Amino acid sequence: MKRKIGPGYAVIYAFLSIWALTTIFPLAWSVMNSFKDKKRIYSNSFSLPVGDAFSLDNYRNIFANYNILRAYRNSFIISGTVAAAVILFSGMAAYILCRYTFRTKALLTLLLYAGMMFPIYSTIIPVMRMQAAWGIVNSPSVAKNLLSVILPQIAGNMSFAIIVLSGYIRTLPVELEEAAFLEGCNMFQTYFRVVFPLCKPSMVTVGIFSFLWSYNDLFTQMFFLRTKENWAITILLNNIAAKEGVNYGALFSSVTLIVIPVLVVYMFLNKYIIKGMTVGAVKG
Amino acid sequence: MMKKKMLLVLAGVTASMAISAAPALAAGVTLNVTTTYAGEDSNAQNYKDSVAAWEEESGNKVEDSSATSDEAFKSRIITDFEAGSEPDVLFFFNGVDSNQFVEQGKVVSVDEIREVYPDYAANMKDDLLGASPVDGVNYSVPVNGYWEGMFVNKEVLEAAGVEVPTAETTWDEFLAACETIKGAGYTPIAASLQEIPHYWFEYAIYNFQSAETHNTVPKSVDDEYGKAWVDGLNDIKALYEAGYFPENTLTATDAETFQLFTGDKAAFLIDGSWKIGGIAEAVDDIENFTVVNVPGKGDRKTTDEIGGLSMGYYITRKAWDDEEKRDAAVSFVSYMTSDEVVSKFAGVSATALKEGAAPDTSEFNALQVDAIAYTASFTGISPAVQDNLSAAAREPIFADMASIVNGDVDAADAVAAVLEANAE
Amino acid sequence: MGASIYKNKKLIWVFLLPAFLFMLVYLYYPFVQNILNSFQHIKYLGTAGGEWNTPWYSNYVKLLGDAKMKTALKNTAVTIAATILGQVGIALLLALLVSNIKAGAGFFRTVYFFPIVISATALGLLFNLVFLYDKGMVNQFLQFAGYLDRESNQLIDWKAKYAMFTMLTPVIWQYVGFYFVILLTGLSGIPADLYEAATIDGGSKWQQVRFITLPLLVNSIGTCVILAVTGALKVFDLPWTMFVNGMSGTWLTGTYMYSKVYSDVDYASAIAVVIVILGVLLSAAANAVFKQKDDYQV
Repeated sequence: MKRKIGPGYAVIYAFLSIWALTTIFPLAWSVMNSFKDKKRIYSNSFSLPVGDAFSLDNYRNIFANYNILRAYRNSFIISGTVAAAVILFSGMAAYILCRYTFRTKALLTLLLYAGMMFPIYSTIIPVMRMQAAWGIVNSPSVAKNLLSVILPQIAGNMSFAIIVLSGYIRTLPVELEEAAFLEGCNMFQTYFRVVFPLCKPSMVTVGIFSFLWSYNDLFTQMFFLRTKENWAITILLNNIAAKEGVNYGALFSSVTLIVIPVLVVYMFLNKYIIKGMTVGAVKG
Repeated sequence: MMKKKMLLVLAGVTASMAISAAPALAAGVTLNVTTTYAGEDSNAQNYKDSVAAWEEESGNKVEDSSATSDEAFKSRIITDFEAGSEPDVLFFFNGVDSNQFVEQGKVVSVDEIREVYPDYAANMKDDLLGASPVDGVNYSVPVNGYWEGMFVNKEVLEAAGVEVPTAETTWDEFLAACETIKGAGYTPIAASLQEIPHYWFEYAIYNFQSAETHNTVPKSVDDEYGKAWVDGLNDIKALYEAGYFPENTLTATDAETFQLFTGDKAAFLIDGSWKIGGIAEAVDDIENFTVVNVPGKGDRKTTDEIGGLSMGYYITRKAWDDEEKRDAAVSFVSYMTSDEVVSKFAGVSATALKEGAAPDTSEFNALQVDAIAYTASFTGISPAVQDNLSAAAREPIFADMASIVNGDVDAADAVAAVLEANAE
Repeated sequence: MGASIYKNKKLIWVFLLPAFLFMLVYLYYPFVQNILNSFQHIKYLGTAGGEWNTPWYSNYVKLLGDAKMKTALKNTAVTIAATILGQVGIALLLALLVSNIKAGAGFFRTVYFFPIVISATALGLLFNLVFLYDKGMVNQFLQFAGYLDRESNQLIDWKAKYAMFTMLTPVIWQYVGFYFVILLTGLSGIPADLYEAATIDGGSKWQQVRFITLPLLVNSIGTCVILAVTGALKVFDLPWTMFVNGMSGTWLTGTYMYSKVYSDVDYASAIAVVIVILGVLLSAAANAVFKQKDDYQV
């Protein structure tokens, strides 16, 4: 087969590049403004931070006064655990909902959709009362406090994860599972040995978004991570940036410090999303 | 100068007395403390230092869960009280926001504390402590207060050929100044009526009342207070129709209109004492800015202003009933509200200290110096009446100010809606 | 052979239990509380329910006559249409294009993800500056291009005249990357040998897309549509930073509920109930439209 490298490709690349410009610009703009003296941001946000305008003060303030590494560590413990638990539990449930028919399936599906809709403001108060009664809120133990954020976040990402994974599992050919069945695999073995590995790209996607949403979920963190030892990065940086009449310098250095680790995680994981491409179907 | 030194010495003596008066403590108690001195609050560092000093002195520890104050923070505090996970000492609002835990008896009144510790808050004027709207009883001990005033961009006034308003400037003179400024191509008043109409509401209705009557929520839209509110709202509408607010005041954010003011495009800005830091941060030439009295009319003298002490330290029932923590909690609050510490926190704002605050003015910028002069000019002071309204009740005027000024909603109807929601 | 292997259902609850237990404790039970709250008088967010409303359903009666809620529903309908066509449509196009190029695919995959990770506060500030009245990026550009008169500093108030457009553009743009990643994942699940077979049979690139990719991507597209619909019903942060208090008639169900969260707790609960019901109904409808047989044979 001949490879066509013609005008068609030029149009494709032009279109993709234009979209890329719109997505790169805001991040570049945020990073750029984080190096500016805070006085200059609102009045002249689109200028480059060069010469006099260049300043490291926004970062100096954060690194000098706050234990940012501890906050990163807490964030990664919380969001990593959330992502792992969501992947494990949502995959199992999605598999059953896709492949089996049973009486309560329609009801569970509706509950699934509902699970995506509940605003955090509607659920936070009962959750807080419950967890306070269990003694994991306002506890002197850092582990318990982190847990009080992890548990609701696992639940909060579950519906989304099951729906995305269901969409993916449905597309998988059943022949591989049938082969496993004929070889005498039970449900557990079929899922963990056959389906789970096939779902890797979708699992990674679900993991990335669960991680991201957990990481950015300021509201839950505000309720449950109160003292400095417990702070995750988002709440730490929000506490720095929030103030009468927003400090834009702190805002943009915060954005930069929040975004970078997530992008590193994403870049590291996104190759797995594509790996599935080579998996072939088995003839039925 | 001499007087100031005397005051400082006095403050020091009373402070050390207050501390030594506290009984010997069982060392090693850990207090859970929540305040709003967090993030970039101008007193966050002062708070940190004072806590460290108290820890050093008392041998106790503070587990600090302070956070920037916003609606989510308030909800967290309310839920904490309901769930029994409230802190031992709380620095919080003394207006309607505190009603819930006051009604439930979860904080201890100043009088009850004084039965055991007679010197508790003895350095404060009792009538300024900030009594609870629930029962008029004092529960909290304030630190520093706030005022609202009119900030002025002098460069804009000069370019428009208008004098800086003084304590004698009347409302009509103010309107004439606005007209001149507008004619010169500047925006007279920086305000986002869509986002932050609060300050203008407060002063506009104040103009139809006096310092004594202002802090009263009307019973009905037809009583004298109700009428004042309607007249005040109609004054804002008149200012809007005259084109004294920014062209896009109904779609601009507060940050955007603030930028007009600091960027030498708008002349006046009514805002709170906390804005001084924001202005100093946003501009290169702080000498170009000053703060003056908001021009008044009717019974309200130009020197009658809005201000008060809206927050204070509470000791919770939980800590009070805890043998181990009681002493520590009292010692902590006494320390944090001593003359010395309060003076450090106060800056340009008001305090409830009997001796008055003695802030260190040597580091003050030009605007802060003007602010001291501004506060000295007060002939009357009233708290903001909106602090007596529930959040739901504020909505028909604050969230819908745009509809009121553009005529979609009648001011009287809006006030009626406020009063109805507040009665619930 | 059929699905005989899925006949033994004795242990399926073991797989379902963890996920649904989490949701039961942390979502369904709290939301039942929320439903009860919507019939009660709640003073502050965080206080326990007080007395029942009279009549107990009064919040819902109020909703029916609430002009702002009507505006919100109308705007949300527009938003749903715009997100399905705009977000999912653009994402699909981008995903198909990126999966058909070799050089630079990794780069595009990475940068398209950027907008999702930036906080709404920062994006709101950016777009406020882009659409700023005086000296905003768009107005400056239009003056430069001669569309607006430069001499008299002629300006367009984007947030008044073209409010919905100004609000929806950033909202749609921000989440294209999200659907892009999900669709890309779906594409990765399509067995490569299908394309090989098609190439051998002499099918063009377009035919491959039309007859192999799209039919096999239906599940993923359906997932995206469900996520887009529910997302549009919920979205509030970016619109709120740009259009505080529903300025210029831009209420959405999400922003309207948020505006009541702290000030009118029981009413906000009632709005939340309406949002959830609409979300479930629309998701179920989308699911029915995109329903494919659960397994497929080559």
